[in-house]
Amino acid sequence: MTVEAAEQALGILDRVAIEGAARAERSLTELMGQEIRIHAPQVRIGTELDACEAVGGPDTLVLGSYLSVAGDVTAHVMLLFPVPKALEIVDLMSGQDLGTATEVDDYARSAIGELGNIVGSAFINALADAAKLILHPSPPLVVHDMANALVTSVYAEILQQGSVVMIDTVFEDGNGNIAGLLVVAPDPECMPQILEIVQ
Amino acid sequence: MNSWPSDFRPVTVGIGQLAVTADPKVVLVAHGLGSCVGLSVHDDVSGVAGLVHVLLPESEGRVPGEKEPARFGDCAIPALLNAVTKAGADRRKLVFKIAGGAAVLGSANNSRFKIGERNVEAVKRYLKEAGFRCAAEEVGGTSGRTMEVYGGPAGKVLVRTATSEAKEL
Repeated sequence: MTVEAAEQALGILDRVAIEGAARAERSLTELMGQEIRIHAPQVRIGTELDACEAVGGPDTLVLGSYLSVAGDVTAHVMLLFPVPKALEIVDLMSGQDLGTATEVDDYARSAIGELGNIVGSAFINALADAAKLILHPSPPLVVHDMANALVTSVYAEILQQGSVVMIDTVFEDGNGNIAGLLVVAPDPECMPQILEIVQ
Repeated sequence: MNSWPSDFRPVTVGIGQLAVTADPKVVLVAHGLGSCVGLSVHDDVSGVAGLVHVLLPESEGRVPGEKEPARFGDCAIPALLNAVTKAGADRRKLVFKIAGGAAVLGSANNSRFKIGERNVEAVKRYLKEAGFRCAAEEVGGTSGRTMEVYGGPAGKVLVRTATSEAKEL
């Protein structure tokens, strides 16, 4: 992908990101019974380091989910939370008092997988609608590892083909605490197709 | 959860970066290696230690940036050799160790995420072509790893995962 094409792609993904964030915000607020804010997502030619900083640094242990997207185009979607924040989210999702979930057990993993499904689908559907594409997200793979290991593994996959154009967004709860990171990245070889359809 | 004593100075070796030290109070750290590979080198006489953080196996004609000389496996090894010999290491004394190359998202899609495996293969191959072999390794699997390389004559190399204690490689 050329630099011009990448810049064009950023503009289009910007609109997709805003719509995706609005959809995810609605679903999450409904699910959690409290207002969840999703920051205006940043769309850019990404670097792995700033992505990791958003969840507390490269060594931070995160819990999250990964979806690969197949169909008219292929893409990667990854949602990551620092573990303490993930456990808070599990409590909110299950209507439990905060502090009830204390470890990453099967229940927590299943809840975070479901959350990845909801948030990931919001963004994938926004992209599918904007670009009139048929997209199929995979079932979520729940991941529990160092933030850097996860983020860079997706980057490496994409960088084989070209630049990483990605949407990353930070979640904030009612108290203004940073909750997590969402990375949505179409495979570079699919960008020309997305550009063509959208224009 | 850092392993080094509080009076040690950590130097982060990010993606594509290369670092060299002979200072026994310095630890070179590659954080959260997923599919990436960390290759360390040490010469116990001069105390020179080095570490590269490789992202992809081959450059395929791409030229790595000045700040990321070790982004690709084929460029990383000559760059590392050059840097440690310049710092005073003896080529005949070099001991290499490898960590990383995991498939942290492996079960999501088997046809993808083979980069970890390919990175390990490439690093070993280019090492062999340069006339060296790897003395120890902690590679593959599905967990991310952090690699720490200590400067000075001892030249300890530690590897830890998110859930395991650091162990010496």
